Amino acid sequence: MQKLYAVWVIFLLVSLDLTAQSTDRSANSSTATVSGTVRADNGELLPGVNIVLKGQSKGTVSDANGQFSLSAKPGDQLILSAIGYKTIEIKVSGTGSLKVELSADSRQLSEVIVVGYGTSERKNLIGSIAKIDPTDTKVIPVGSVDAQLQGKVPGVQISSATGVPGERVNIRVRGATSINASNDPLYVVDGVFINSNSLQTIGTGGKATSPIADINPSDIESIEVLKDAEATALYGSRGANGVVLISTKRGAFGQRSTLKIDASAGAAKAAKLWELTTGPEHATLVNEWWVNTGKDTPSLNRTVANRPFRPVSEGGRGLPEDQKTYDRLGELFRTAQLRNYDISLSGGTQTTKYYIAGGYNTQEAIIRPINFNRASLKVNLDQQVNDKIQVGVSNTFTRTYRNQGRAGDGPAGGLLQAALHTPTYLSPTNDQGVLVGRAGFDNLTLLINNYNVHTTSLRYIGNLYADAQLLPGLKFRTSFGIDYNNYNESEYWNSKLISGSPNGYATSSISQYTTWLNEQTLTYRKKLGSNHSFGVLIGNTLQSDNLTRTYAEGRGFPNDNFTQISSAATTASSQNWSKSTLASFFAKADYNFAGRYLIDASLRADGSSRFGSSRKWGYFPSVGVAWRAKQEAFLQNVTAISDLKLRASWGVTGNQNGIGNFAAQGLWTGGTGYQGSPGISPQQLGNPDLQWERTRQISAGLDVSLFADRIGLELNVYDKYTTNGLFQIALAGTTGFSNYWSNAAEISNKGFELGINTVNLRRSGLTWTTSFNVAQNVNRIEKLATPLKYGSRDLILQQQGFPLYSFWVYKQLYVDPQTGNVVYDDVNKDGKITVDDRQLVGSIWPKFFGGLTNSFSYKGFDVNLFFSYQYGNKIYNHNRFFGEGGGARDDARIIFKSNLARWQKPGDVTDVPRPDGINVNNYRDGGSRWLEDGSFLRLKSLTVGYTVPKELTRRLGIQNVRLYAVGTNLWLLTKYTGLDPESSSSSDQNAQGIDLGTPPQPVGIQGGISLTL
Amino acid sequence: MKSINALFFLLLLFTVSSCKDFLDVKPLESISDTETITDQNSALTALRGVYSALASGDYYGTSFQSIGYLSGDNIQWTGSQSQVQEFINKKVNADNSTISGVWIAIFRTINRANNIIAKVPTVTDPALTTALKNQYLGEAYTLRALAYFDLARTFGGVPIITSPTSKPTDNSGIQRSTQAETYAQVLKDLETAEPLLPTTVDRYRVTQKTVFALKSRFYLYQKDYAKAEDYASRLISDATNYKLLKPYGAFFQNDARGTAESVFEIFYNGTTEVNSHRGQWQPQTNGGTRQWAPNDALVALLNDPAIGGNRSVLVAKDNQNRWYGNLYYRNPGSDPSYIFRIAEAYLIRAEARAQQDKLADALTDLNAVRDRAGLTALTATTTSTKDAVLLAIENERRVEFALEPHRWFDVVRTGRAGAVFNLTDVNRYILPIPVQQLQTDKVLIQNPGY
Repeated sequence: MQKLYAVWVIFLLVSLDLTAQSTDRSANSSTATVSGTVRADNGELLPGVNIVLKGQSKGTVSDANGQFSLSAKPGDQLILSAIGYKTIEIKVSGTGSLKVELSADSRQLSEVIVVGYGTSERKNLIGSIAKIDPTDTKVIPVGSVDAQLQGKVPGVQISSATGVPGERVNIRVRGATSINASNDPLYVVDGVFINSNSLQTIGTGGKATSPIADINPSDIESIEVLKDAEATALYGSRGANGVVLISTKRGAFGQRSTLKIDASAGAAKAAKLWELTTGPEHATLVNEWWVNTGKDTPSLNRTVANRPFRPVSEGGRGLPEDQKTYDRLGELFRTAQLRNYDISLSGGTQTTKYYIAGGYNTQEAIIRPINFNRASLKVNLDQQVNDKIQVGVSNTFTRTYRNQGRAGDGPAGGLLQAALHTPTYLSPTNDQGVLVGRAGFDNLTLLINNYNVHTTSLRYIGNLYADAQLLPGLKFRTSFGIDYNNYNESEYWNSKLISGSPNGYATSSISQYTTWLNEQTLTYRKKLGSNHSFGVLIGNTLQSDNLTRTYAEGRGFPNDNFTQISSAATTASSQNWSKSTLASFFAKADYNFAGRYLIDASLRADGSSRFGSSRKWGYFPSVGVAWRAKQEAFLQNVTAISDLKLRASWGVTGNQNGIGNFAAQGLWTGGTGYQGSPGISPQQLGNPDLQWERTRQISAGLDVSLFADRIGLELNVYDKYTTNGLFQIALAGTTGFSNYWSNAAEISNKGFELGINTVNLRRSGLTWTTSFNVAQNVNRIEKLATPLKYGSRDLILQQQGFPLYSFWVYKQLYVDPQTGNVVYDDVNKDGKITVDDRQLVGSIWPKFFGGLTNSFSYKGFDVNLFFSYQYGNKIYNHNRFFGEGGGARDDARIIFKSNLARWQKPGDVTDVPRPDGINVNNYRDGGSRWLEDGSFLRLKSLTVGYTVPKELTRRLGIQNVRLYAVGTNLWLLTKYTGLDPESSSSSDQNAQGIDLGTPPQPVGIQGGISLTL
Repeated sequence: MKSINALFFLLLLFTVSSCKDFLDVKPLESISDTETITDQNSALTALRGVYSALASGDYYGTSFQSIGYLSGDNIQWTGSQSQVQEFINKKVNADNSTISGVWIAIFRTINRANNIIAKVPTVTDPALTTALKNQYLGEAYTLRALAYFDLARTFGGVPIITSPTSKPTDNSGIQRSTQAETYAQVLKDLETAEPLLPTTVDRYRVTQKTVFALKSRFYLYQKDYAKAEDYASRLISDATNYKLLKPYGAFFQNDARGTAESVFEIFYNGTTEVNSHRGQWQPQTNGGTRQWAPNDALVALLNDPAIGGNRSVLVAKDNQNRWYGNLYYRNPGSDPSYIFRIAEAYLIRAEARAQQDKLADALTDLNAVRDRAGLTALTATTTSTKDAVLLAIENERRVEFALEPHRWFDVVRTGRAGAVFNLTDVNRYILPIPVQQLQTDKVLIQNPGY
C-alpha cells in the first residue's frame, strides 16, 4: 500500500502543477474588470452571492455591501447565484458598474442538500434525504447530536434509552435490517467515515457511551439523513441502515469576521421517582408470602408462628409495624447542573475562508456521581490556491471526560440497585452503626462517596482535501481523512465497595481506534442546450480501521490512598489488536431533461477484509427517477400548486458493521492457559462463504408545495428486504461451539413517512409555522431457522414470522378472584404452564412515531414547541418485575407500592395475584403483567427567545443579541408506570425495551445568551 | 490534461491489483484452525486448553458445581436469579440458563479433548516422545470420561461425540445415546487412558491415580461395589501421597492448595485463570454477592460439635450476622475447584464395603473421615445395621461435602430422593435437556416429564 501512496502523492503534485499552468494561460486572455452591486428585490444589499463566468470556473463572491468585481470580456455571460434567490445570467456589455437585482426563490427548492459525494439543490433530488438544521435542537441537553434529532426526521426512530448525557442512543433509519450486524446508520463527518461504535470496555450495567457525543453540536452546519437506496447506494456496503452526513461550519469567501458567543446554564431533575413500600408494608407482604407458600407446600413448614416478621422475642425480625422506612432514592437523585459555552470566529478573504471555534459543555446526570464534560476545538480552513484549485482542511479536536457509574443491570457497583432495589426496611447501618450494603448490593452512601470510574476520550476527526478544476465541468477531488480516538478508562474500587473488597481493585484500559480514509472522485457536469443536463461521478476509496487496546488490572492495595495499579499486590494485563480494511470503487451518472425528468444510476463495489476469501467483493447498484410535474405545461397555470414532484428508486445496499473483523475465519485462540502456562483452544468455526448482508430497497415519494409554499408535504413509501442477513447461527452444543457467523437470515421493513410543513400565519410581524411528521415501519423476520433469545430471562425472542425484538412472555389472562392465582394463556392446551406456553406479545416497534414542531415569531420574540411521540410499542418494566415479587424475594429486593394491590381473599378483583414464590406460578419470570404500553407524547423542548432590536445593539457594535430559555421534557403523556417509556437498560441492540435500573430523561430548564459581534 | 486522466486510470488499475493484499488481514491474537496441533509444544498448549475448559465458569468453575449442591438440601438462595431457585425447589425448567451453559461448557471440553485425541497421534515432532504422546492422550481420554460422566449423571444419555468439530455441519444431528451407553463410553475412555498415563502423583493434572479415583466413583454409581472398593483402595493405600489432613480446614484454609488431601483439583492462578465461584458465596465485605448461602439446617449441622465437628470452618458470619459459605474465599479468585479429595475415596469405600455387608470395614473408613473432623467414632453398637451404616455415610457425605457438588447426585443415585427430598417424581432425577439445544438440534428428544 505504501507504494500506492507514493504514486498518489506524485500524481497530486503533477496535477497541481499542470492546473497551475493552465490558470496562467487563462489569466492572460482577460481584458477588462467588471464590477457591480447585487441587491435583493426588496432593495437589501446581498453579500455572499456567487458570481462566475459562464463556461469557466472563474468567479467571485459579493462582499458585505453587495459589491463585486472580476475580470471579464465584453460579451461574457455572468451567472449570479445565491441560496434563496433565483439564479440569473447577465451579459457583460461594457466596463461600467453593473446593478443586479436577484428575486427571491422558493427557499425550499433551491436549498442545497449534501448528498453522497457532492451537493444538489432540493428540486433536483431524486432520493429521500432529510436535512436538519441543528440550530433548534442543539440546545437539548443530551450530550450527543444523534439523540437531539429525535422526532425531527420522518422515518428515523431515535430512542434515548437513558437520562445519562452522552450515552449511546438507538437510531434506526427505516427500521432494522440485521440481527447481529449493527443497525446503526453510517456517520460521515466532513467526508470522514467515523467510528460510531462505543469503545467502552468497563461494565456500566449494559450501557455504553456514544462516540457521537465527541462532536460538538454547535459546530454543525447541517445534518443530512440519507434514507432510500438512491441516496445511500453510493455508500454501498454500509448504506443499508441509512447514512447520516454531518457537515461542520465553514467560513465564507469575502465575508468579514464574525464572532459568535453563546453561553447557557441550567438545571435538570427527575420528573418523578418510583413509589416504594414502607417498611411495615414490605414486612406485611413478606409474611403473607411466607404463610401462602407454607399452605401450598406443607413440607416447607412455613406457618404464621414462624413467619419472618414476628416479635424479636420469638426470634423474628420484629412485627411489621415495628419496621422503619429508609429513603435511598433521595440520596441518589439530585438536581443536575449543566453549562455550555461556545465561541466561534468565522469569515474569509477573497481566497481564504475559516471557521475557528471552541466549546465547553458540562452536564451532571440526575443521579450521583455521573457527569459528562466535553471540550472541543474546531478549525476549518479553505484556501483558493488559484482559480482552478482549492485546498482545505477540517479539524475536530475533542476531549470528552466522563464520571461514569453503573446505571444499568448488575449487583456490584450498581447505583440503582443500591438505591432502588434495596428493601426500604433495611437500615443502611448494622447493629454496630457501620454502613453496610444490603441485599447483595453496595451501601449507597459508600458507593456514591467512593465511586471512582473515569473515562477520557480524546478524539481527532480531520480531513484534508484538494479540488482541482481540470477542464470546464470536470472536477477532480482527492482527500485524506482520519478519525483517531484515544479512549482511556480507569476504575478504582476501594475497600469499602463490593468490587474492591477486601483490598481494592483497579483497572485501566486504553483503546485506540484509528480510521484512515483516502478518497478520489472525478466529476463531470455538462449542460447541452437548454434542456439536457448530465453529470458523471467516478471515485474510489480505501479505508482502514484499526483497534488496539491495552488493559491492566490490579488487586490488593496497601490502603485506599493508593489508587494506581503500580501499587497493587497482584496485577494482570492484556493487549489486543484488530483491523479491517475496505476498498471501494463507485460511479454515478445522472441526467436531467428540462428540469422535468430526472434519472440517475449508481454502482458501488466494495471489498471487505472481513469476508470469506471468495466473497470479499459486493456490488451495490441503484436507479432513481423523478418527475417534476409542476414543470409540465398542464400545471404551469395551476397557481395553487407551487411544486409537485414524484420520485421512485430501487437499489441495493450492504451491511458489514458490527461483525467481528475476522468473523469468516476459523480460529484458535490463546489465553486458555492452565497452571499459569499458556494454552490454546478452538475459538470459532470459519465460514469461507461469509459475505455481505444485502438490503434491496424500493422507494417512492411525492413532494408537493401548495399556495406559494405555504404548505409543503413530503410522502415516502418504502419496501426494504434484507437477504444474506448476518447473524450468529446457533450450533448444537454437541459441536463444542455455540454459534458461527452466517448469512442465513432474511428481514423485511416496510413503511411510510409523511412530513408536513406549513406556514400558518405570516402577517404584521407574526409568523407561525408548523412542522409535523409521522412514520410507520413494519418489521418482520422473514427467515430464521432457529429462534434466538436475548435479554434478561430471555425476554426477547427473534423468531421467523415476527418482528425483531418481540417480547416472549407468559401471557397473563386474569387473576382468578376465587383463588388469587394467575390464569395464563395455555397455548398448547396441555393443562400445564411450561416454557412451551411462552408466546410473542408485542414488540419494541411503535405502530407510528414522529414529531410536531410549532414555531412562532413576533417582532424580536420567538417560541418553539417541539413534541415527539410514539404509539403502540411495548416496554418490559423489569424494575417492576423485581419490585412486584410479592414478598418472595424477602430481604433481597424492594417491593413496589403497586404490589399492595395483590389478591388477599376470595372475591378480590385485581391483576396482582396472591404471593406464591418466585418463578412458581404467579410471579413467574417472563410474565406479561410487566409488559407495558410504551406509547408516549412528550414535550421534548420548549424554547422562548428574544432578539434585542438591532437599533439598540448596533450602537454597541453588536450585530445580534438573543436571550433564550429552554425547557426540556416539561410534559409527558404516557400510560407507562415506570419513569420513562424510552428507558432501555442495555446497549445490546437485541435486548432493547427492557427497563431496569435506568435513570429517566430529566426535566430541565436552561437559560442562555447568544451574541454575534 | 489527457496525461492526468491517463494517470488516473492507471492508478485505478494499480489499486485494483494491490487490493488483494490490502484486503487480506490476519488476526494477531488467534491462529488459523488448520494449523493447530503440529508439534510437542502446540500439543501441550492445546491440552492445557482442555483443562481450561474444565475449569471454566460454566463447568467446574461454578455452574456445574452449583447443580450438585443447590439441588440438595443445604443451600438457600438470596438473590434475584430464579434459575438458582429452580434447583433448590427441584423444579428445573428446560429454559433454565444454568443448565444451558453447563451443557455447552461440557461439550466444549469434549471437543477440545477430541482435538487432542485426533491430532496428537499424527504429530511427528521428535520432541513429542511416545511417552509424552501417551500421557497427553491419556489425559484427554480421562477428561473426556469425566465430561461424559457428568453429562450422564446430570442429563441422562447424551449424544456421544468422539471426533473434533472442524466445520459447522460436524457433530450435530446425532441422536442421544442411553444413559447406560453414555456410562459405557465413560468406562471405555477410562480403560483406554489408564495404561497410557504415568503412575506419578500430580494433583492438578490427570495421572493414573486420577483414573483410579474416577473409576472408584464410577463403579459406585454403577453399584459395582467390589470394583469401587478396589479402586478406592488403590488410592487410600498410597498413604505417603494421600492422607486426610487434620483439621478439616487444612486442605483449603490459609490459601492451601495441592495438599495431600487432594487427588484431583483444578488450579487457578487468580489472574489469567480466575475462579469466580467465590463471588456467589462471599459477602459484600469480601467482594461477593452471597447469591447463595448455607441454609439454617446446614448451619446447624456444621455447628453441631457432634455432627459438623471442625468442619464448622465451612461457614462464617458477615457483618450483618448472616452466615455465608467460606470454602471459596480467595481474592483474587484463585480457589481450587475440588474434583476428587481422598475423603471421597474413604467414603466411597465405606459405602461399597457396607453394601457388600462388610460393616466393620465400612465403619473404619467412615470413622477415618469422622476422626479427621474431630468426631467420635461410630461403633457396631451405635450403628449396627447395614441401613444404619449407609445412612451414617449419607449423612457424613452431606456435611463432609457440604459445599461441593455431591449431595444431589448422592441422594439420587442411592434412590433416596423421595425419602430425603420428598421428591417422588422420578422424572425429576435427571434434568431437562436445555430447550435451546432442542430447538437447534431437532434429533434431540426431551427427557420425560419436562
